[in-house]
Amino acid sequence: MRLVRDLGRRKLRSTLTITGIMIGIMALVVFGSMANKIDALVKGGTDYYKGKIVVNAKGSYMGFGGAPLSIAVAGQIGPLAGVDVVVPYVSLSLSDEVSGVSMGPAPTIQGGVAGADKGREKFPMHYATGRALEATDEGHNVVVLGSDLARKYKAKVGDTVILRNVKFEVVGILEPTLTAPDNSAMVPMTAAQELYVQTLSGPVADKLNTYEIATGLVVYPTPGTDPENLADTIDAKIPGVTTMTERDFNQQIGAATSMLNAILIGIGLISLLVGGLSVINTMAMSVAERTREIGIKRAIGASRWRIRREIVLESALMGLVGGLLGLLLGFVITTLGNDAGRDSATILFDLTFGTAFASVSFATILGAVAGFIPAWHASRLDPVTALRYE
Amino acid sequence: MAILEGRNLRKTYRLSRANNVEALKGVEVSIEKGEMIAIMGPSGSGKSTLMHILGLLLAPDPNHGPAAELYLGGEDMASLSDNARTKIRARRMGFVFQDFNLVPTLTALENVTLACEYAGIGGKQARQAGLDALALVGLADRAGHKPAELSGGEQQRVAIARALVNRPEIILADEPTGNLDSDRSAEVLALFRQFNREHGQTIVLVTHDAEVGEACDRVIRMRDGRIRDHGRGVAAPVLPAIAATA
Repeated sequence: MRLVRDLGRRKLRSTLTITGIMIGIMALVVFGSMANKIDALVKGGTDYYKGKIVVNAKGSYMGFGGAPLSIAVAGQIGPLAGVDVVVPYVSLSLSDEVSGVSMGPAPTIQGGVAGADKGREKFPMHYATGRALEATDEGHNVVVLGSDLARKYKAKVGDTVILRNVKFEVVGILEPTLTAPDNSAMVPMTAAQELYVQTLSGPVADKLNTYEIATGLVVYPTPGTDPENLADTIDAKIPGVTTMTERDFNQQIGAATSMLNAILIGIGLISLLVGGLSVINTMAMSVAERTREIGIKRAIGASRWRIRREIVLESALMGLVGGLLGLLLGFVITTLGNDAGRDSATILFDLTFGTAFASVSFATILGAVAGFIPAWHASRLDPVTALRYE
Repeated sequence: MAILEGRNLRKTYRLSRANNVEALKGVEVSIEKGEMIAIMGPSGSGKSTLMHILGLLLAPDPNHGPAAELYLGGEDMASLSDNARTKIRARRMGFVFQDFNLVPTLTALENVTLACEYAGIGGKQARQAGLDALALVGLADRAGHKPAELSGGEQQRVAIARALVNRPEIILADEPTGNLDSDRSAEVLALFRQFNREHGQTIVLVTHDAEVGEACDRVIRMRDGRIRDHGRGVAAPVLPAIAATA
């Protein structure tokens, strides 16, 4: 490999340049993986809200926290035109501690009566082991764990885990979805209601009938009904509630995350720009040093095109090597980062094949493009002048 | 038959706005096929410039007066593009320079086969041709050595092998013995003479060295950008009388 030997001629400089690209690609891989993770979370949210309306008590934000809602409200919504099924649910935080750094939703307990959606819920759930909750589980303390939570508790089917000081038997574990369910513990409705009541402060709790409360309702419209229109109707006719639809979710979350993604990718690209400039610098110096050699090659019959190709290939090789090393480093960082976060169920990175491939290709193309400027210069050298060059 | 013919060859180097150097002031030259000739003259006489023009490394200036003419084997070279001239250099010419000018990262064999590659020959064929050429210059056993591991004389012989490998019609050498001691110079000259005799290759040497001149069939003497003597003396073959105008 003559190209490799040419790179090896100026070891320090080539190494520094390749290191520059490596750092740029590493940044791109790490930030890109983070952006992938955010995208997957958002995509999961969008999918979840597709074709349904989530109703919460006024003052809630995106179905988290907020005031309890009476299941009776379901009876008020049910008769509205365009409503097919109304499913109450209870959602509460798994722990009272507020996590300082959090990516996506915090771990939650989700309670609902299995099958109450009458087959309308289309969000795909796959079970790694065990089974789904069933209606007959009501009254029993059983739980289906999301993949991240299962890993956090190191739990398998048949084990007992403690959720908010109550023992639950694990009956199923979900495959990773890369979004909210990974961090959820799914329990029967009654169990969730019991846990939820305990989180309310005394006087409020006393007035409520434990088994009549929910934290939200999922409304499935009849086929052909526009969820956005139905949401407007619910907002107008039912007092004390607020609705959340796919459009609301995208407006609130999608916009914020695409901005965040743009910033992350931007940081990666800036580091690469610096890497690219250093390729230009290295190759320009190398062309200057090799002026004589280029003169000889031109004299004995190398065409301009061949000289250009030689230099572009050499700098593309630098880009490729830097890109591969950067990918390796990025892989190590994202893997270690995810391993470290696993115990707290905080998975920050999702390094996809697409991100890896795009990063390395980008580095290679960047190297080639950066090499083109010095290559052009080299190919324009007059052979006689180049031969005389000292 | 003339393999190389030039008329009205001029070259002016523009060093700065006010400083132009007229390296060639309208030269007429004819080199016969199978000749081994030396171009001699003091520094700045234009001998290297003439060699560069004959070797298609430089294009002659477009003249105001009579147009520059340059023929290789009867074909017009004066109006060729850079690409076309590069192709002819690769396939029909061989070059040897004073400073050996090998590519330092390549082995002796790779330096030689580089010329094959540029001529469009690759793979085993190029490798065999390279080994044969190295054998011709007596360096078959040094094929895998890098230039830094070879002596000056050996490096120059590698350069000669590179110039020969495509069996070019013409070999142009700029001070090929300039950096060699007299024993090595004699070896190099003997090699040139051998190829000239055995393969009928035309050899044009630019030199300061009178001994090199003596070893050639003919010496063209230059001074101040003009040819002073075409050297058609006793030993030279009889040529058409194009020199009469000089």
